Amino acid sequence: MRITEARIFGLRIPFVETFSHSASARARSDSVVVRVTAENGTVGYGEGVARPYVTGETVESFVSCVVNELWPAVASADYAQITRSPDPFSALSSISESLPDHSANGVIAGHGARTAVELALIDCLLRSERLSLGEILPPKRPAVIYSGVITSGSIDAAVRHARYFKLFGIKHIKIKIDAANPVERVAAIRRAVGPDVSLRVDANGAFEPVTASGVLSSLGELGVAVAEQPIPRGDPAELARLSSDSPIPIMADESLVTLADARALTATRACEYFNLRLSKCGGIIRTLQMARLAENAGLRVQLGSHVGETAILSAAGRHVAAYIDQVEFVEGSYGKLLLAEDISRDSIVFGHGGAAPLLRGPGLGIRVREEVLRKYAHNIITLVSSAGLRSRQRRNKNVSTDEERHPSAGTTRKSSPRKVCHGSGNCSARLFVQAADKERKDRFRTATRLCGHSHGE
Amino acid sequence: MAIRSLVESEYAAQTEAFASSDIFKSLRSGKAAREVYDEFITRLCRTHLNSPQILAFLYSLAPPRVASLIEHNMLEELGRDEVGISHPELLLRLARAAGFDQHACAELEGQSQDELRHLATDEILFGSLREFGLTVLLEVTCFEWMLSRMARLIAGFLCKHRKLSPEALLWFTHHSEVDQRHAEEGLDAVVEYAAYYDFEEQDFRLLSEIVFRENVFLRRYFGKIEVSRHTLMLSL
Repeated sequence: MRITEARIFGLRIPFVETFSHSASARARSDSVVVRVTAENGTVGYGEGVARPYVTGETVESFVSCVVNELWPAVASADYAQITRSPDPFSALSSISESLPDHSANGVIAGHGARTAVELALIDCLLRSERLSLGEILPPKRPAVIYSGVITSGSIDAAVRHARYFKLFGIKHIKIKIDAANPVERVAAIRRAVGPDVSLRVDANGAFEPVTASGVLSSLGELGVAVAEQPIPRGDPAELARLSSDSPIPIMADESLVTLADARALTATRACEYFNLRLSKCGGIIRTLQMARLAENAGLRVQLGSHVGETAILSAAGRHVAAYIDQVEFVEGSYGKLLLAEDISRDSIVFGHGGAAPLLRGPGLGIRVREEVLRKYAHNIITLVSSAGLRSRQRRNKNVSTDEERHPSAGTTRKSSPRKVCHGSGNCSARLFVQAADKERKDRFRTATRLCGHSHGE
Repeated sequence: MAIRSLVESEYAAQTEAFASSDIFKSLRSGKAAREVYDEFITRLCRTHLNSPQILAFLYSLAPPRVASLIEHNMLEELGRDEVGISHPELLLRLARAAGFDQHACAELEGQSQDELRHLATDEILFGSLREFGLTVLLEVTCFEWMLSRMARLIAGFLCKHRKLSPEALLWFTHHSEVDQRHAEEGLDAVVEYAAYYDFEEQDFRLLSEIVFRENVFLRRYFGKIEVSRHTLMLSL
């Protein structure tokens, strides 16, 4: 089966509050959603996030990677054998392997873009077979239990958030810390939630190795379960040295982006936990490969998330969290607790105690509300394969014919204005820019810049 | 714990933020486009069409001393009291007067029912209906408090700038009268609920903050999230 169209939605969904940590502050989701359409009309949705301080990707490099590297591979692939494969897990692996790796100056890995496309393909191909991802990745547990995360900010605000979580019955809380009073902060939260709640900290690389050791010793006395990324990404040996002296198990996050990172971390015994995040790790298959490496090395796993993920990444994360054996902590599925509006018809948010049910619907198991995608999209780019273009031309021709025959029918919409890239080189697929409103020119410029060819007006 | 004054000041702050919002002022001054008025009418109808069911839910949780007040409020909404005016019917009358055809009205009712469905299917963060019921009660009584003070004003600008007849706006004028009583009863109900279910002050305040972390009127009537505080909001 061939994919005939991909549509990229650059989103800006406001948060109900600003989320901040030592590396960034964020007031809205800037996820990028990719929707693919198969020749039989089935659609699938994927999502990725661009985090310069994690994978090195910007939203622009992310979109450019989809347009210029991933889409040509998708448009030229025939997924017929994959959907008919007797071994569905290998089928998922084949989808992942069909996508090229992206690297460029300043980009550790183009994993956000890769994840968005991989998830969209998996969702689409599973839906066309009426299969749930849960049938491919059988769950090992009846529900997924999520953690709460307390953002940076004043200690008073942090304590208040901790009390919310206690009220919600959350059993695991992650506290964002930086160089400003980390021990006092954790101590105040410990007093608020009592001894039965598991606390862990995430420094997002805020400490120098020389200071990190002392902070970890103090935090150990407060019963902190895990310390995530205390020092910046760098030589795994440095993290290993810190880990060997630390009273608290160390979790690698920013240090763990690629499979090579995972191998280096296990080889140097630099940590006791991996924080796996789908968009950071390059999609479901890469994440599972890293989980396998962790298992073989005796490491435990956190299935983490990026702030501002929508229901698409949350749904994929839930399947993966339910599937991986050694998952100890899970994050995400915050939906409308953080976003002004989420894009799925049904809520993805966990309930009391952080518990969330397994998803059983086809594909990733959620129903995307396209009108919400459009509402929050600041940029929409449509890519059409040659086969899709021929199909569109046939359809448009039929529409014209119908309108000529029934000029008063008035129910058939003409296609939106669009531009076709006639260039060659990287832009092997036809690039359409859908821009029928006041943002048309801006969008058009964006797309022109991304594909690098002159489209004319 | 001075629950009554705490809650009333919260309601006043919510109402003030609503009345002073740019979008509300544009409706009031007549500067808003017709579509904005229609969106407001759509969302208002969608919000309040469910009132009888929401009140039925609250009635099921009501402490004995205020159960009859909530029961009467529910019957009043249904038009099964001595006055006999069905409030959902008044809302549909408003929608029809604003130009909504049969299909659009059916869509409104469908959307409203969909919200009720979500109420039943979405995961609940709280450990019991005790907490969930309080959050619903706080929001419902906050609306009654606001409508008792603002309904006549809203009817006025819809009449003047959207050219709707007094007959079409009966839902507002009716609410401006009955909600003055409901607003007081609502405060009584909250105080009684907190006492009956043994809420500690800290938990009551946390739940109140969760309900009012955004402006409930702007969210329901305009789909806008207005941050009512900077630091006291749920953070994840």
